[in-house]
This record gives sequence, C-alpha cells and structure tokens, in this order.
Amino acid sequence: MATKVPQTIRAALILARSPIVVPDLTKFESQYIKYKYELEKRLMWTFPAYYYFKKGTMSEYKFQIAQKKPISKQPGVWYPQGIPDIRHGRERSTKQEVIIPKDENPANDTSISRPVVKNSIITKADESNDTTSLERQLRKTLYLLVKIKPNDEWKFPSFEVNSDYALHEVAESGLRDIGGSKINTWTVSRKPVKVLKDKNDESLEFFIKSRILTGEFVPKMKDIEFKWLTRDEIKDFVKKDYYDNTEFLLDK
Amino acid sequence: MLPIQRSLYIRNRGSLNPFCLSSFLTLITRGKRTKANKNGSDISPQMQRVVTQLSVMSARKKQPKMLKLSNEDLIKHQTIETAWSIYQDKLNGQRTSKLKKQYFAIEEAMNKLRQINPKLFDKCNIDESGKIFPMELRIPTDYPPREIWHYNYTPKKE
Repeated sequence: MATKVPQTIRAALILARSPIVVPDLTKFESQYIKYKYELEKRLMWTFPAYYYFKKGTMSEYKFQIAQKKPISKQPGVWYPQGIPDIRHGRERSTKQEVIIPKDENPANDTSISRPVVKNSIITKADESNDTTSLERQLRKTLYLLVKIKPNDEWKFPSFEVNSDYALHEVAESGLRDIGGSKINTWTVSRKPVKVLKDKNDESLEFFIKSRILTGEFVPKMKDIEFKWLTRDEIKDFVKKDYYDNTEFLLDK
Repeated sequence: MLPIQRSLYIRNRGSLNPFCLSSFLTLITRGKRTKANKNGSDISPQMQRVVTQLSVMSARKKQPKMLKLSNEDLIKHQTIETAWSIYQDKLNGQRTSKLKKQYFAIEEAMNKLRQINPKLFDKCNIDESGKIFPMELRIPTDYPPREIWHYNYTPKKE
C-alpha cells in the first residue's frame, strides 16, 4: 500500500447562468415543425365563428369582412381544382385560414388583443461583446471564469478547503469572498461532479455545480478579472487539458 | 286563422254572453309573439344557447375532407417521419452518453473523496431527494423579457 500523502483539497464552483431564450432550431427541426403544423391545419375542424361572434353584431361583420371567401359551387361550371365542398364557409379540401381583423390605428391600440411587440434577442452586450455582462448570448448557458492574479490562468473559481465545512459551502462562501454578497445562487447538489488533479502542487480540485438566479458578480479585489462565457468560448481561454476534462459538464 | 281562434269565434257567435267574451280575450293572448317564437323556432333562448355550445363540440359539418395521399406522397411522408425519428435517436444517444460520462465523473470524485477525507465525504453524501427548484429560476421563453436580469439582490439577514 502506498503511503498516504496529505493532499490539499480545493472546491471549484461551476457557476452557470441558464439560457433566457429557448435555443435556436436547426434547419431540419424548423422544416419538420412547419410540415407537421401544415398537416395539422389541413386536418383541423372548421372554426365555429358563430359561437364567438353574435349574429348581427359589428364584431361579427368585421370578422366576416376580413375572411377570404372560398369559391362556391355553381351549376354548369367546370372546376379544375375539384368541385367546391363548402360547409360553414370553409372549403373542406384545404386548410382554413382564420384572419383576425386588425385595427386601423395599431399604435393607439391598448386592448388585450393588440399585437405583441417582441424584444430583441441580440442585446447591447452582444453588440459590444461585453463578456462581463450577464445579458449576453441569451440562447446559451454562460459560465463564470475568473483570474485572481494577473499572471494566473483563466479558471472556474476555486477555493481551498481548510475548515470542516462541506465542499459546496466552501465554494459558495468563497464566491462571495471574491465577488461580493449581492449574488443569489442555487447549489445544484452537495456532491462534487468531477475531480481534477493539479499537475503543479498535487492538489485535488472538486467541482460543484451552481446556478446564478439574481444579482451579479462584482469583484471585491482590484486584480480579479472575470468573464461570463459560453461553452464554446471557454475553449479559447482555458488550457486544452482543462477544457477536455470539464467540457462534458457544461451545457450548450 | 288559427284553429283555436276559429273555434272560439264559432262558439262566441252563438251567444253574446259577456262572460264568453272575457274568456275569449284571455285566450287570445296565447297567440302573442314572444322572444322565444320570434324567429320561428320553438326553443327558448337558453335552449338555443345549449344547442350552439353542443354544436361547437360536435364534428358534424366541421370535419374537413379525408386526406388521401398518393403513393408518392405517402412515401414522402414516411421518409420525413423516419428522418425525424433517426434524428431524435441521435439526440437521445448523445444525451445518454453525456449523462453516463457525468455519472462516472461523479462516482470517481466521490470515491476519491472517500479515500482522502472520509469526514468530508460524509458531508457530501447526504441524501438530497425532495430538493426543489427555487422560485427565482426562470424557464427559457421564446423572446427575452423587458428586464433581462435582476441586478439588485440583497441577501436575507439570518
């Protein structure tokens, strides 16, 4: 049996910011979804407008005006596309397009049915490529990388375990020591997800996963640098060995 | 003239009894136009509403024509579905292999910790089943919210 060497234990924190916007669809995914959507529309029942609009009201009139009328069946006429089969104002052999009548002045519209104004997915931080911002790359997961001293390497924040505290407690309190207490995180588990042996000082680094919910990382010391990076961006900042050993812990 | 009115007319012609006239006047109100029979139907507005609501749920007159695919279209459809299931299998395989890798990494880390520091291992090896997600954790949406990130957080004092 080998003699036991007292090893220093370190607790590293993989702090993630979850994606704020859903991931982009691939070309195949969006094509398949469109195909299924069209198929579903073709097989959908006719919209019962008589249920939603009372007969003889202004809203019924506006709705009926906005609809595209199908070609009706006339005696003695030849229809190359097939004889029209209309029920409840819908051509049964095609999908039904229900058009919602729009107001003339959409800017003044304050009703609940006004069109939704969508916020841009590309933010100011994306345009200026501000890697210290949490509002970047909304579709992807961001991870916190720090550099404690100017000559250090970029790493996940890592802290030495001296006391009797558990690994996740050391990692979380260490994060607050370097990044201020105004940060709200949620530790995924007390169990370490990975152990890495440091080549220089033979210390063992145990990784703990955590997620930032609110607040921000504000470095307490002058020398500390930090970056919020996606998995693919981390590749360019850390050593290849370090990346290969931690890459499978990270999400897209 | 309605048959009931005609019979009353005949009966009244026989005698000029004032009692008969009053009964005639009360009976004639039965022919009055009410909200229920205005449109010619015999059901009340409440009943009509029920009929409309039921017709919304019924398939009668609302079902489109059956989709009849040609042989070529059928093969196209089957190809698309097969491609999708192959794609899903590929994604599942990637996910499973990644999870396996992560599981073995956890196992390795825990075994290592048990070897070098059993005290610390016991602290990590506490059952966490029943742990719930925090309320603040956001679910990704199609578009970002107006305020993308909440910066002003102050920890609760214990």
